Amino acid sequence: MPNLKELKNRISSVKSTRKITSAMKMVAASKLRRAQDLAESSRVYADSLSFILSSLAGNTKNSSDLPEILTGRENSKISLLIINSSDRGLCGGFNSNLFRNAKNWISEQQEKGKSVKIITVGKKASSFYRKTDLDVIANFDDLNSNDKQLQVSEEIKNKIMELFENNEIDEVSILFNKFVSVIAQEPTYQSLIPLSNDEADEEVTDTSNAVFEFEPDKNELLEYLVPRNFLTQIYRSVLESSASEHAARMTSMDNATRNAGDMIDGLTLTYNRTRQAFITKELIEIISGAEAV
Amino acid sequence: MINLKVVSPQKVIFEKEVEMAVLPGAEGDFAAMPNHSPFISSLRPGQMVIMSANKVDESFFVSGGLVMLKEKVCEVLVDQIESLSDVNSSNYQQSKTFQELEGNETALGTFEQVVNNPPYK
Repeated sequence: MPNLKELKNRISSVKSTRKITSAMKMVAASKLRRAQDLAESSRVYADSLSFILSSLAGNTKNSSDLPEILTGRENSKISLLIINSSDRGLCGGFNSNLFRNAKNWISEQQEKGKSVKIITVGKKASSFYRKTDLDVIANFDDLNSNDKQLQVSEEIKNKIMELFENNEIDEVSILFNKFVSVIAQEPTYQSLIPLSNDEADEEVTDTSNAVFEFEPDKNELLEYLVPRNFLTQIYRSVLESSASEHAARMTSMDNATRNAGDMIDGLTLTYNRTRQAFITKELIEIISGAEAV
Repeated sequence: MINLKVVSPQKVIFEKEVEMAVLPGAEGDFAAMPNHSPFISSLRPGQMVIMSANKVDESFFVSGGLVMLKEKVCEVLVDQIESLSDVNSSNYQQSKTFQELEGNETALGTFEQVVNNPPYK
């Protein structure tokens, strides 16, 4: 028969776990709101920028006139993957989904004969990839404030520009958890080099009647635009990822709170039954003792 | 009236209808007014002003960026912007922009210049 004292201790420990998880859920919910606002308000800039870039690139008839950094190199050999994870755990399948996805992607690239380099964002990714034999060239973590997120995006941008110019990489993609809804986050790839323009194409056809004049000339403008575009795309992925992280944490902590509740109910039932059994047992002992006399 | 929309990487800073906005284009200042031909330009660090009836209504410092001008819309994508009414020549060294621009000599130089002696008054 289980010990009453032991059961009581277990109930109180599950209760305090429930308190923690429900507090974490509420913290995540309020952070999620902020992260979502940020992600949405940064979208205006990103959209306008990609519109400008696509109207500029679309305006150039011959794609060989465009710089390599937009179109990518022929025979690309080395791809770089930027992986956006979280700094903290306890957010359900947020990171493990991402890493599983990345693993598939990496083996796909390797089958094509490309070698893969990795930049990790967030502590979880850096500790995960430290154990693998992949070539991790940089880690960025502690993205706990918006300023820091922007600053890290800037550093990543500088890094990839430098690596591309030194011919150390030929392609760049970002992997991040896209924020679909509070209950769904989807690992998503976005190609930076070559520039992915599926969204951009639609917009160009929308307004193809507007023919822009450019000042200074296109090449100079591109020189300014390309790094800006990298920065915004990276920044955007960081923001999306942080919104997804909080959403994932909120859902998983909500589940944990509910599970703890169920567990407390079960334990309380066992506790009461055991207590009752003890009382009955004691009564039987007393009665049978009295009868013996 | 033209719809002036100023956007930074983080957020939309403001959006309003203005009569005319003068912007520091890479190859010279230009005025954004309704029915301007479609135009995309980069910005150099300098002063951006909103004008009505030949008077400066509001004055800003921009550290650089891009502008996209369409018939009735003027979208300004700025790196950094600061309203000059908040900054005057005595306290510009304490301003946020000043600290953020440190290291960027051209922009910082222009900031100082614009604060102390704005081209448009």
